[in-house]
Amino acid sequence: MNSKERVAAAMRHEEPDRVPVMSQLALGHYFLHCDLPEVEIWHSTEAFGESLITLQRRYQFDGILVNLPGRDPNWRSYIKRVEESNGEKTIHWINGWTTVCPRDDNPHVYREDGSRYFAAFDVVDPEKLFYIEPHEMSGITYPYYWGFLEEATREEDFFFPPWQFDTLDYVLQHAGEEVSIHSEIFSPFTQLLELMDYTQGLLALMDDPGKFKACLEALTQGAIALGRGQAARGVDAVLMSSAFAGSGFISPEHYREFVLPFERKVIEGIHSEFDVPVYTHTCGLIGDRLDLLEATGTDGIDTLDPPPLGNVDLADAKERIGGNLFIKGNLDPVNVILKGTPEKVLAEARHCIEVAAPGGGYILSSACSIAPHAPPDNILKLHEAAEQFGNYH
Amino acid sequence: MQLEEISMSLVRGDAGAVERLTREALEEGFSPRLILEEGLIAGMTIVGVKFRNNEIYFPEVLVSARAMKAGMTPLEPILKACGIEPIGKCVLGTVRGDIHDIGKNLVVIMFKGSGFEVIDLGVNVSLEKFMAAIRAHRPDILGMSALLTTTMVQMRINMEGFRAAGFLNGMKVMVGGAPVNRKFADEIGAHAYGKDAADAAERAVGWIRGSRKQ
Repeated sequence: MNSKERVAAAMRHEEPDRVPVMSQLALGHYFLHCDLPEVEIWHSTEAFGESLITLQRRYQFDGILVNLPGRDPNWRSYIKRVEESNGEKTIHWINGWTTVCPRDDNPHVYREDGSRYFAAFDVVDPEKLFYIEPHEMSGITYPYYWGFLEEATREEDFFFPPWQFDTLDYVLQHAGEEVSIHSEIFSPFTQLLELMDYTQGLLALMDDPGKFKACLEALTQGAIALGRGQAARGVDAVLMSSAFAGSGFISPEHYREFVLPFERKVIEGIHSEFDVPVYTHTCGLIGDRLDLLEATGTDGIDTLDPPPLGNVDLADAKERIGGNLFIKGNLDPVNVILKGTPEKVLAEARHCIEVAAPGGGYILSSACSIAPHAPPDNILKLHEAAEQFGNYH
Repeated sequence: MQLEEISMSLVRGDAGAVERLTREALEEGFSPRLILEEGLIAGMTIVGVKFRNNEIYFPEVLVSARAMKAGMTPLEPILKACGIEPIGKCVLGTVRGDIHDIGKNLVVIMFKGSGFEVIDLGVNVSLEKFMAAIRAHRPDILGMSALLTTTMVQMRINMEGFRAAGFLNGMKVMVGGAPVNRKFADEIGAHAYGKDAADAAERAVGWIRGSRKQ
């Protein structure tokens, strides 16, 4: 059984030869641990694709999550100059914006006045929304366009730019035969909060729920289109990132009203055309709403943060949702993988396997993404744990 | 009754009602301090308790905070004119390299709701900016937030800077954020770890009350 088959079996709730291992890495981890400059990894399709494959092979993961979109192949031509100070690069773009690229964390784009852009709710027109890409290299923009050009760059009958799937294609081509390749879309709720900034977004939800839902409806269509596009390229699964749907942000009632129906539509929209698993990544406190996540029709849940980062008990989750959904995660990325010893990682990974693997449907993974400075020796223990304790037969 | 109405309107997040009732209370001769403490702060205390008990969530807290701000509009100038001081002063910010503000904003709300004057330095705050704010405002409490494992190390650097500058004599430092815990706070020499915004505000109020007793 190869990696691709192993992950597929787990997602179908079958028992593979052993528990598969697949963990999302913070982008800063690629910056620190691949022999490519962080500016290249963030902005270049090929550099990011190569980094994804390099670390998947190094850590012997069974899958790769392609969590940046393809990039404009002409991105270098928009650079005016690059400055470096204390190891941190700042790119000055021809339109006057800058991107600050830390050595170990996601870059961020600033406007001419040094601020980060967010759209005010009163200027947002639901009819102008379709999809917000939080990882677009020119940052959040509204009305939406791609890159650093004023005019929209997109194909006539397709909202997204022609290079949208380039990273996915690169990874599928170079690793897709053996390895499980997953793509990422953002949930409508996440997109809207990223567009307006979180605090303003949550206030908007209270002030004008009707308009808020109209925005979510529009962004749902974009998420469906993007997910279908990814599925058509041949991904093994689509991950829907929904980071703000836990109880650290909203109540179960607001989840029912502003998250559940729209995520359900996204999942149904992809499932209606493609037989591909769609699963949900929600970090933090979700122990009180696992049943609500299940009601979205999702095929699986990623992260399941344990205390103190979240509040999910793996045995409880397995009992409540393990019959219908596959489970990926629950290994504490901060207190175990980042700060623990290799022995601690091995012991905790063994515990996760023993609790969640019986009967299939479990992928060993860190809860949220593995931190930039997590020791590689600790990460290697995930594969070792799966080999040592995760055999089904 | 009037003050209780202010509190309840604030808990509901009804900014218009809070402002109107506050003006009416002032016109009826209630003391500004009483309106602040038994109307607005009492309301935010209920909000804090409900938030901690998962009876309300972040959006509801935000509208209550906006209602408190509305109530402060007519009240603040009068409080200043009467020489009524906030219970304490604090400087808050998310550390350098970190642009996450939602947790910090919640702490700002809870501190203001507890009667503190808050100097909110925003996100991506350098050690130099913290130091300048400490020099300018001489706060009782300094709070630092970090959401990332990569930026929480900046808290250690900042603590060393505060120590070297002699700022830790008389100023308490509190840290918080998703990857931060009590052990880390102890390691870097912070005075406390706030496990959530309500916890942070309660500790801060406790410090102020404790220092007044001494």
